[in-house]
Amino acid sequence: MFLCFALITLTGAVALTFQRNLVVAGLCLVLSFMGVAGLFLLLANPVAAALQIIVYSGAIVVLLLFVIMLLAEHQEEPAQRRRPLQRWGSVLVLLALAAGALRLVARSHVLRSLDSGPLPPAMNLDTLGAALFNDHLLAFEGVGLLLLAAMVGAVALVKRDL
Amino acid sequence: MNLAYSILSGGLPGYILVALLLFVIGLGAVLVRRSILVQFMGVELMLNAANVALLAFARFRGGDVQGTVFYLFIIAVAACEAAVGLALVVGLFRHRRTTDTDRADALKL
Repeated sequence: MFLCFALITLTGAVALTFQRNLVVAGLCLVLSFMGVAGLFLLLANPVAAALQIIVYSGAIVVLLLFVIMLLAEHQEEPAQRRRPLQRWGSVLVLLALAAGALRLVARSHVLRSLDSGPLPPAMNLDTLGAALFNDHLLAFEGVGLLLLAAMVGAVALVKRDL
Repeated sequence: MNLAYSILSGGLPGYILVALLLFVIGLGAVLVRRSILVQFMGVELMLNAANVALLAFARFRGGDVQGTVFYLFIIAVAACEAAVGLALVVGLFRHRRTTDTDRADALKL
């Protein structure tokens, strides 16, 4: 089950990177987010999985696809000039990072020692709500203010004449 | 091998490996592609990789609720970033008629 969701996530991400059509790339992003939501379910965290689907696959991807449709540019423009050094340099860096990640996970004793223990019960909305409104009320209100500021800022940036 | 079994069956090393690879792929989308919209999607993938690692550690270190609270704040900030970022993309397209980052180089020396 874990392998299935992990493969969905990584396949969506790789397909996004190699996809020429921007709309299809956005749909690959949805696939990847759904895989991540499945991983959250396997981590016994249904609250996070629901939030992932509502906020990422719902709101953010819909906004992204809306902008792609609005700009009416579904294909990537042809390159002005080739940049082989930058392109292959970044591919090399990425391969090195991936190899480093594999090596890090394979050699880490801490990860393995954390792996073997009794697992806690699943997260539910009651404990999350209690923690959120008892311990983090100020941060919660701050996030509400931040969202308002982002909304006003987005409208001010897009609107032609205020 | 014990580690391979742990990764394939969904132990903590498996989640961390998926998170790291997801981060690398998102970074690849930012570095290799020229369209600013695909780069934006790559940034979202990197944020998701961080979330996977955060919630995996929260689960395997005793199921603390603070991990999920942090996840909630992270996606709120990600939503703000998406709104403002896409507004900037629309503004760029209005001024320069392009979404290609190589062509938006007016500040370059």
